[in-house]
Amino acid sequence: MNSARKFLISSLIVLLLVPFSIGCSEDPGSGPQKSPTEAAKGKLFGVSFQTLNNPFFVDLGEGLKKEIEANGDRLVILDAQFNSLKQKNDLSDLILQGAAGIFVNPVNWEGLKGSLLEAQRKNVPIIIVDAPVKKSDEELIVCTVASDNVLAGKLAAQALAKVNPKAKLVVLHLSVNKACIDRVEGFKTEMTQYPEMEILDVQEAKGTTEGARPVMRDLIGRYPDLNAVFAINDPNALGVISALDSANKLDQVTIVTVDGSQPGIKAIQAGKLHSTSAQFPREIGQIAAQKMLAHLRGEEVEKDVKVRVELITAENAEQFLEAN
Amino acid sequence: MKVVKQMVPLLVAIIILLLLFRIWVPTFLSAENMLNLTQQISVNTILAFGMTLVILIGGIDLSVGAMVALVGTTTVFCLSALSGDSQNLFLVFAAMLAGLGIAAIFGTFHGIAASKTAMPPFIITLASMLIARGCALRFNSGLPMPIEEQQTFFLAIGNGRLFDVIPIPVVIMLTLFFLMALLLHRTRFGQHVYALGGNREAALYTGIPVVRVEILVYLLCSLMAGVAGMIHTAQLYSAEPGSGEMFELTAIAAVVVGGTSFTGGRGTMFGTLIGAVIIGILDKGLNQAGVHYSLQYIVKGAVILIAVYLDVRRNR
Repeated sequence: MNSARKFLISSLIVLLLVPFSIGCSEDPGSGPQKSPTEAAKGKLFGVSFQTLNNPFFVDLGEGLKKEIEANGDRLVILDAQFNSLKQKNDLSDLILQGAAGIFVNPVNWEGLKGSLLEAQRKNVPIIIVDAPVKKSDEELIVCTVASDNVLAGKLAAQALAKVNPKAKLVVLHLSVNKACIDRVEGFKTEMTQYPEMEILDVQEAKGTTEGARPVMRDLIGRYPDLNAVFAINDPNALGVISALDSANKLDQVTIVTVDGSQPGIKAIQAGKLHSTSAQFPREIGQIAAQKMLAHLRGEEVEKDVKVRVELITAENAEQFLEAN
Repeated sequence: MKVVKQMVPLLVAIIILLLLFRIWVPTFLSAENMLNLTQQISVNTILAFGMTLVILIGGIDLSVGAMVALVGTTTVFCLSALSGDSQNLFLVFAAMLAGLGIAAIFGTFHGIAASKTAMPPFIITLASMLIARGCALRFNSGLPMPIEEQQTFFLAIGNGRLFDVIPIPVVIMLTLFFLMALLLHRTRFGQHVYALGGNREAALYTGIPVVRVEILVYLLCSLMAGVAGMIHTAQLYSAEPGSGEMFELTAIAAVVVGGTSFTGGRGTMFGTLIGAVIIGILDKGLNQAGVHYSLQYIVKGAVILIAVYLDVRRNR
């Protein structure tokens, strides 16, 4: 009897809450209309990164911010923490806040369609940074701005061939990520020039320092004649270095990688890492912002924008650090 | 009446939060933003409904996050295998049943292990969290599996809108809320759940079918995770073997903020719904106000502590 009443009352409250939450205020929640305070601050742009736990993305964000703020607009930087649901929700929020344009670095390069469709319904242009999206999704975006990852892989192979043309190497991969797939692709393409080089094994290592350590330790045990490593990014290479260091094998193994982060270049200067194909994240951000503004001005933008990469070895590490 | 009294502080908290974020974010209370909020909380709320039952009997289920991933990958795998790129509704239902079937197997196992052995539910579900995650990662070598565009029915579960207004996930969430609330507050099974959580020994001696109730509770919790997994997968247009991490903790947070006691025997479905709404408002509000994500974590942690402290103090 009592429980029946309780149930009735609580369902009533629920029913009351639903309209309350739907029809609360008459603010236009969409479109480019802005309150006067916001109009003074210029347009709103947003960027969602798969993680901000990697200096590369922090720099990319800086590049975007600088370019967008120079134009009198503002940029909101969001971290999806490798969680595609969080990314989807973050993008919804940006779209609902009437963002003039959004930059996305996808967590799951095949799982962005829902957000892209939502943006399209509200006419919010989207630019993808650092990693491509599915071919069938390309019509929903303005363009992709990313490093020339194939070239980065080729440069790594060339650098290795110069010092160790008969390398017996292992590859530490992150095959969920399209950028990394391209790097390994470029590396293998270039390797065909050096028939004496041989890949002993390809292993997944999560693209992080802590992911690479245990994998590398196992590989040392399994391949005694291993004398080179291609890791897909700097954090990965640092994990490889620490594993080899603790096994006292660092001087017998040449390590090449892709990234050009500060810790990576310091490792080159310390003689632990042979080379890294540097990317220019600030430049990627800057170019992406310019393309967005051009698109908003109604100009035509090419679909696939590639940003330069440059090989860093002990010879030019010093200059590179100073220049950046 | 006591239930309503208990809910007053939570409802007041919701209104205060809404008004607070309205000051920060001018468009926060717009119809569209609020609808979007309900859509965003739907997955967590559905998980929390199942979690409420488990916590009410003094148990816990840590496997729901991994279950979301496993049900998603199983369903999408069957979808691709059965109907390929054409849509046959019968086969779509078969694929969805396969997903729910996997969840049911796990849930039944949790219930049997928890009621028939002396193993703590925390350990049982921790182990099956690892097993379920591993099973999910077996599909497509751990890579995401996109859903074919032709599967309009399945995709509608996560992205469709009823009458072009109310998101389908919200419809599912509210339907499940009414069903679960009925089950917990209006049936004998519900009374048994409270009795079991209040005092297991006493429940045994009064002739309550303890084993059956416990199995049913864990089964329902896993099935809820199954439904949540389908919505989550459809929303992402692909099944991700790695998705759903930490979902169990967000669900537990919603349950305890909603006033369910962690030692069992006290709590309501309505409280859980409110708890999930509070956490959802915090998430969305802090995000739209542009608060750095590190601070968002700290604020959420503090809110959970405050809510549970007030609740414990009131019920001493």
